[in-house]
Amino acid sequence: MKAWQKGSLVVALLVLVGVPWYGSDVLVQFGISTLLLAVLAQGWNIIGGYTGYASFGNSVFYGLGSYGVAIAMVQWHLPFGVGMGFGVVLAVVFAVLLGIPVLRLKGHYFAIATLALSQVMAAIVSNIPLAGQNIGLVLPPLNNDRLFYELSLGLLVVATLTIFWLTRSRFGFGLIAIRENEEGAAVMGVNTTLYKVMAFALSGIFSALAGGIHAYWITFLDPDSAFDISLNVKMIIMAVFGGAGTVLGPIVGAVSLSAISEFLSSEVTSIAGLFFGIVIVAAVVLMPRGLADMFRRFRKTGWRYFSENIRAHKL
Amino acid sequence: MDLLAQILVNGVLLGGLYAVMALGLALVWGVLNIVNLAHGAFIMLGAYVSWHLYTYLHIDPFLGLPITAVVMFALGYALQRGLLNLIVRAPMFNTLLITFGLEVVLTYLAQLAFSADFRTINPSYAGNSLQWGPVTLPVARLGAFCMAIVLTVGMWLFLLHTRLGRAIRATAQNLVAARLYGVEPRHLYAVTFAIGIALAGAAGGLYGTVSQINPYIGATLTAKSFAIAIIGGLDNPLGVIVGGLFLGIVESLTTLYVGPTYADVASFGILVLVLIVRPTGLLGKTA
Amino acid sequence: MTALLEVRHATRRFAGLVAVSDVSFTLAPGEILGLIGPNGAGKTTLISLISGTLAPSEGEVLFEGKSITHQPAFRRARLGIGRTFQIMRPFPGLSVLDNVAVGALFGHGGGQAQLAKAREQARSSLEFVGLGKFIDQRADELGGPGRKRLELAKALAMQPKVLLCDEVMAGLNHVEIDEVIDVIRKVRDQGISILVIEHVIKAIKSLSDRLLVLHHGVKIADGTSDEVLANPTVVQAYLGKKRT
Repeated sequence: MKAWQKGSLVVALLVLVGVPWYGSDVLVQFGISTLLLAVLAQGWNIIGGYTGYASFGNSVFYGLGSYGVAIAMVQWHLPFGVGMGFGVVLAVVFAVLLGIPVLRLKGHYFAIATLALSQVMAAIVSNIPLAGQNIGLVLPPLNNDRLFYELSLGLLVVATLTIFWLTRSRFGFGLIAIRENEEGAAVMGVNTTLYKVMAFALSGIFSALAGGIHAYWITFLDPDSAFDISLNVKMIIMAVFGGAGTVLGPIVGAVSLSAISEFLSSEVTSIAGLFFGIVIVAAVVLMPRGLADMFRRFRKTGWRYFSENIRAHKL
Repeated sequence: MDLLAQILVNGVLLGGLYAVMALGLALVWGVLNIVNLAHGAFIMLGAYVSWHLYTYLHIDPFLGLPITAVVMFALGYALQRGLLNLIVRAPMFNTLLITFGLEVVLTYLAQLAFSADFRTINPSYAGNSLQWGPVTLPVARLGAFCMAIVLTVGMWLFLLHTRLGRAIRATAQNLVAARLYGVEPRHLYAVTFAIGIALAGAAGGLYGTVSQINPYIGATLTAKSFAIAIIGGLDNPLGVIVGGLFLGIVESLTTLYVGPTYADVASFGILVLVLIVRPTGLLGKTA
Repeated sequence: MTALLEVRHATRRFAGLVAVSDVSFTLAPGEILGLIGPNGAGKTTLISLISGTLAPSEGEVLFEGKSITHQPAFRRARLGIGRTFQIMRPFPGLSVLDNVAVGALFGHGGGQAQLAKAREQARSSLEFVGLGKFIDQRADELGGPGRKRLELAKALAMQPKVLLCDEVMAGLNHVEIDEVIDVIRKVRDQGISILVIEHVIKAIKSLSDRLLVLHHGVKIADGTSDEVLANPTVVQAYLGKKRT
């Protein structure tokens, strides 16, 4: 990476860190939501973008992390940090136990299996008394948005650095090889089962940590909101819109889509969701490889970039 | 014992409706390799079309089913030709995303057009039931079940015995084969998708007679349809009947013996098990 | 001298079709064994049984005297078995260099831990097969002959003890075939044993120490090139039954 690119990243980071001091309360809250979504998108990026297994079940990890913190703090009166650790443990156990059978499935079967798993988890949790069943749990309030903001930002930095490490490590290469040609990877010595499960668990850890922070911030949790499917799809859309399989793509996707959604919500409330759907449809047709790819190629090919994408894919 | 019989009958009646819900999805998936995450939204739209026909034109929902089907057919054809055609040769994942986007768009459009109120289609005979020994058969559910069987068997016959049906099945194997039947591929794709959507719409019309509808039922119905299609198996057109009946009975039994909140756990749990143990479904060929 | 690779009574069935039936043979260290037979004889299936891509329905595969019959493909790769695929399997999104680097990272003995060292090793494998100039191109931009060499380079970067080559000469012209023959000889000079599947009889005759012939999944001959090619059963298999 060139020096000026590194420099601008550092400047951007400093600007972001400072937001709670010079930004309005609304901006900080928007920041927390967006940062957490970006973490989710990056987490998904690990299993979906780099390993090529499009998981529709990362909302399960998010929910496990949320409930981990909630149960630890509300039922067992343990501190937040322990709760986060508990959430992570739950996520890893889930990733390993259910990942092994489910990761044997290919393509959309894997997607559907993870989707089904998230439905099952939501239904199961809503029946467990410890988790407050259908009513959910109320966490001890902590009115410190600045802390939540910096925590979320820190988590995003860690997630992004992890992805960056992936691109230059043996593990990451193994994942990419699995994505590009799983059988070819196995024959060259990649332990595909182990690597897939590890990628799944790693992506789950970030989702769980994000869920934990969110639960404490919102101070309320119920099965429907914790295991919300639309959250899973949002993280996928953001990662893909920005550019799956790139280091910064998911962040760009999360920030841009959140900003658009926020802007529309304040201007034309009922149309916001509709517009989101239209953006997704248009993006899949015109820029299927995400913003990252568009920025790179647009300079060379100009507006033809979009028509070329269509021509390559239409019947 | 009587209670068990009633539960089983409930399950079968539900299963028939489930089967026709999943039929369109299985067709489009098996032939066009389109995994339609918006399927449930089309069921929802079909229900609203039937509701409008009933409320404003006083057309009986069962008799008016063909009209609903034709309207949805046109919608499906336009969508495939105008939009989905553009990504046929893209990676499968793009289809998942675009159909998800469609689901969002359709749900919001429905909310804008029809408001979020719950509605039902309530013809005068809807509250009646027939007695068959110890078992009560609500007329509406029985009607939905019969129509469902008619549609499913009709679909199966169409695919096996008509020229167009054979062309559609040939396309599932090979696009060139479609040309051999003298049908232009884009038109064939669009017709197949349109049939799938028409079936979803018809299922919606039936659904509206036995359950409440609102713009948001799409997502759950999509999930259910997926479960049915996969559990039954995509290779065999009759797979959806097996899948639907199986799921209908399992859900009824679970509701009685475990608890109503566990019905979903049972369906999706079974889906996961099937995917892990026998991904080709109950009627599919083993890999 | 113990055989490096030994296959004992290997059989593989696919739902009613017997692809490989009771095949036994050995591969000695430093040997080049040619595997020939008409199309559909089961050659690729046999190779898949050795590389671990498929499991045998019956029989055993032994490597360096130890049974590897139930080991998964990746473990066999780490033991030192490398293979190329007839239907090639590049990593399309990666550069040519990185394609080969995967082999260096995960090959024999678990491969390199450091990406930089793996890339160096990949570079030398690519030079070895003659693809030095294409290092930074995307793998899916290579032409047919280039892709065949890429397959070879990927397997070589694994530093295997045994190399299984599946039709690396298919679709090449005379000049390219001679170049590949040279490369394979150089590979053997490095001490690697090679099992080569090939259709170009002239090429495989000049390359191999021994020939093994499969027909309808059954081994019908095993010996030196001259013995095997004079064998009437072999001739019949290729030309069909003689008219009486």
